[in-house]
Amino acid sequence: MSDLIQASSRDLEGPLLELTDVTTHFKTPRGLVRAVDGVSFTLERGHALGIVGESGSGKTILSRSIMGLLPPRGTVRGGSIRFEGREIGNLNRKQMRGVWGKEMAMIFQDPMTSLNPVMKIGRQISEPLQIHLGMSKQNAWATAERLLQDVRIPEAKRRLDQYPHEMSGGMRQRVMIAIALACGPTALFADEPTTALDVTVQAQILDLLGEQRKDRNMSLILVTHDLGVVAGHTDEIAVMYGGKLVEKATTKRLFANMKMPYTEALLLSIPKMADPSHTRLNAIAGRPPDLVHPPVGCRFAPRCPYAAPKCVAEEPPLIEAADDPGHLYACWYPVGSPEYHEAKVRIAERNATLAGAAAAGGQ
Amino acid sequence: MAGTGTAHLRDPNEALLRIENLVVEFPVGRTGLKVNAVSGISLDVLKGETLGLVGESGCGKSTTGRAIMQLPRPTSGSVLFEGNELTKMSGDSMREARTRMQMIFQDPISSLNPRRKVRQIVMEPLSIWKRGTAAERDQKVDALLEQVGIDPQRAAESQAHQFSGGQCQRISIARSLVLDPSLIICDEPVSALDVSVQAQVLNLLEDLKREYGLTLIFIAHDLAEVKNISDRVAVMYLGKICEVAPSDMLYRNPMHHYTSVLLNSIPVPDPEIAITKTAIEGEPPSPVLPPPGCRFNPRCPAAQDICRMDEPQLREIDPGHFVACHFPMTVTPVSLN
Amino acid sequence: MTIITTTTAASSESEADPEGALPEGGTPTKRKVTMPKFGVLFGATFLIALTLMAIFADWLPFIRYPDAKVLVDGKAGRYKLGPGTQAWFGTDGISNDVFAKCIYGARTTLQVGVFATVFGIVVGGFMGMVAGYFRGKVDRVVSIITDCLLSLPPLLLAIILINRLDDYKEDAPWLGWLSRKWQIVLTLGLLFTAPLARIVRAQTMSLREREFVLAARSLGAKPGRVIYREILPNLVPAILTVAFTGLSILIAAEGALAFLGLGVEIGTPTWGKLIDENRNKIDTAWWATIFPCIMLFLTVLSFNLIGDRLARRFDIRQAGV
Repeated sequence: MSDLIQASSRDLEGPLLELTDVTTHFKTPRGLVRAVDGVSFTLERGHALGIVGESGSGKTILSRSIMGLLPPRGTVRGGSIRFEGREIGNLNRKQMRGVWGKEMAMIFQDPMTSLNPVMKIGRQISEPLQIHLGMSKQNAWATAERLLQDVRIPEAKRRLDQYPHEMSGGMRQRVMIAIALACGPTALFADEPTTALDVTVQAQILDLLGEQRKDRNMSLILVTHDLGVVAGHTDEIAVMYGGKLVEKATTKRLFANMKMPYTEALLLSIPKMADPSHTRLNAIAGRPPDLVHPPVGCRFAPRCPYAAPKCVAEEPPLIEAADDPGHLYACWYPVGSPEYHEAKVRIAERNATLAGAAAAGGQ
Repeated sequence: MAGTGTAHLRDPNEALLRIENLVVEFPVGRTGLKVNAVSGISLDVLKGETLGLVGESGCGKSTTGRAIMQLPRPTSGSVLFEGNELTKMSGDSMREARTRMQMIFQDPISSLNPRRKVRQIVMEPLSIWKRGTAAERDQKVDALLEQVGIDPQRAAESQAHQFSGGQCQRISIARSLVLDPSLIICDEPVSALDVSVQAQVLNLLEDLKREYGLTLIFIAHDLAEVKNISDRVAVMYLGKICEVAPSDMLYRNPMHHYTSVLLNSIPVPDPEIAITKTAIEGEPPSPVLPPPGCRFNPRCPAAQDICRMDEPQLREIDPGHFVACHFPMTVTPVSLN
Repeated sequence: MTIITTTTAASSESEADPEGALPEGGTPTKRKVTMPKFGVLFGATFLIALTLMAIFADWLPFIRYPDAKVLVDGKAGRYKLGPGTQAWFGTDGISNDVFAKCIYGARTTLQVGVFATVFGIVVGGFMGMVAGYFRGKVDRVVSIITDCLLSLPPLLLAIILINRLDDYKEDAPWLGWLSRKWQIVLTLGLLFTAPLARIVRAQTMSLREREFVLAARSLGAKPGRVIYREILPNLVPAILTVAFTGLSILIAAEGALAFLGLGVEIGTPTWGKLIDENRNKIDTAWWATIFPCIMLFLTVLSFNLIGDRLARRFDIRQAGV
């Protein structure tokens, strides 16, 4: 047991993770990069949370901030992160080491580089067991074999003696999962775990994660840019943009009743199998915001098709939807509001005039 | 899965590009083994058509694209482009032929010379072939840059690393258009881009295709992307073609078991649909030692003895829809051979 | 307000510059100008000062001619003067100003170093590029040559080569232009060729696989053009870095050769010669030998510091690219 966890101070009843105004800024030659700029939410036990966003949204930095895996210099942190009721946002590396592996574990995107190339697989899995749980070497190897079987790697015993380069990408990812699960963490962070994998392997890995989560009653935080991935494998989804949390809801409610124009735009810009070929995609104009000088108002306003003067001037607060408790969003004129519909009409009219002008102007 | 099937090829006079029995093999170090990247595929593309080539890593789709460009030359097979046999062309005439077909690569930033100014990069093809006067070249380059959404002034002053991924990809597209090619091969052009930028580039490709009457070959692993932009799709697995069909037909009615697996594996952004999917077991075997018979047989849920012995040929099951399978997934029973 | 349009014309207004909605956020276009590091500053200052003095030595009032006698009380003395106001570095055995000799010596030393380096870069670079780009037989030939050159002990090679050239000079009048200086340049240049060829070859091989080279080939560019326009500009950082460090090595090598008696002709001072000529006076007139040593040391150090800094700077750029 970690010497830092006083049994009395662990809260086994309340939420697993509570984030309050978490900020992570980096000092760079260009200025202060506001990678994560005030994120607050709560995660209950045993739930699977998907954190969705593009590059620059802060999703990866957020998960690393929670884990405490940030570079030691040049980082400015703020806010509170409570894990099982205990404040972990201000622990140093040494203290976090007691948490890593046992309470929280992480799997990363690139299975090629995440495993030690000169260490046998068996050793990489059994080491945390020996260190954190004090198992004997024999026990640890036996457990390692069982873990490999859990993650559906055929011929587990033989694999223990292999090196990472002898395995395929999908298998390496499974090994990473096995290492992460070895000490029975309460929360598993998966940072783009399947982006580098083939789509059929991706499906296998995601199913595996879901299965393990249920078997071990573990919480899963899945960080990805792929809305399709979160749709099928999460209970809740948090959408991030420009370092801020812009929408959070249960998965079903998010897709059924989106509030944020960004989420809507994201969904509309993905080519879908159900659409006929040559369907025009609704691209989102512009680029993700500059994190050193983010826009004053809503960070999505420069690209938002429905943006109004208020959106550019004032940043909308994160509020709870009246018609949907638990559904958080940050928008002045969310999807479905009267202003939104007005704006849509205006856009349609403008499109019609433009199309008319283009046609009239001649080719 | 067929190597030698050519049933799906159409009238050679109408095809802009026609590949027959293309084979590309790479030696593995000094072991004497070969990587069978592409094992005898045939395809054709009509003028103005977009052919989508889809498959997972190791299926040989990128290699096919490069082999068409003869970079490097394929091990064997024929590549007929605008009536010319590319595999038999000498260095000089090959270089000439290259101006008519261009390629766009996956990594946007790495496709541009990091030490040169971007506008120079786009101007380069015109300089190589000495087309037009200096003024004409300037005009053409500026017009193209604007068309793809890049400020020509900024392009003249900046290098590739000063642009975003999406912008770099546009610059690559501009560069590929400057010689007025008839065919453009896109090798995973949006895979390395952010989700919201992908749609921009895909739309741009469609627009440009229409405006310039281009023929496209779109290579990707994302079936939804490929379906969106293509007229016709060919599914590849381990160096062979499984199925060729018009895109809508492929989705509505996949006949090859691999295509079906591929479709089922794609995560759909809809929680109602997503939950009922099940994944397939195993991983693609190594292209060094492909399985005998149909290459998909070890993982195929419908595999029988004949699949392990006899390689299936591409044959037409429905009009325009070709499958290489002994037991394709059809509603009506189909007799063997 | 930005509009998402669904019109189809590619030239429609709002799609003309979809990413222009924002300023150049996300990618830095200009680095903040910071003070260069101390090492580079020192190195650059020293080298520039030295070069200027060497070039304009004839016109600078405070530098005597190397063979001018320094007079004390109207008489030429021997080792009379240590470093002081009359002669900054003192005088040597024949009453010549050591400082003046150092500056004039710098001319020769720097010339030899620079020319040898340039020779090495041109020949070695060419070989490396050709070997790396075309591979196959060309690569094997070049590799054999470089491997041979690298496995021969350099000092031995230098000695043999210079002596041989000395002999040939006597028989062949057409080699008359080949003063000792140029013999040394050729020899050192030849020795520098091999490591440079290796480095350039490795870099070329990796650059060759990059997609922008593939793109150039697919545009129909001839190999010569691809090498010249695509590969060469990307080799410059590596070559520059090696050049600076190599320069310092070659200068030290010239000093060593002079020390061994294989230096340039009599009458032309170089640091190596100065060190050699005056080393046995080190007890009585240490300045005559030590000051040229110090000059050599500072010059080599300066080149090294700059070379190091270049390596770091270009490494980072390469990694980013």
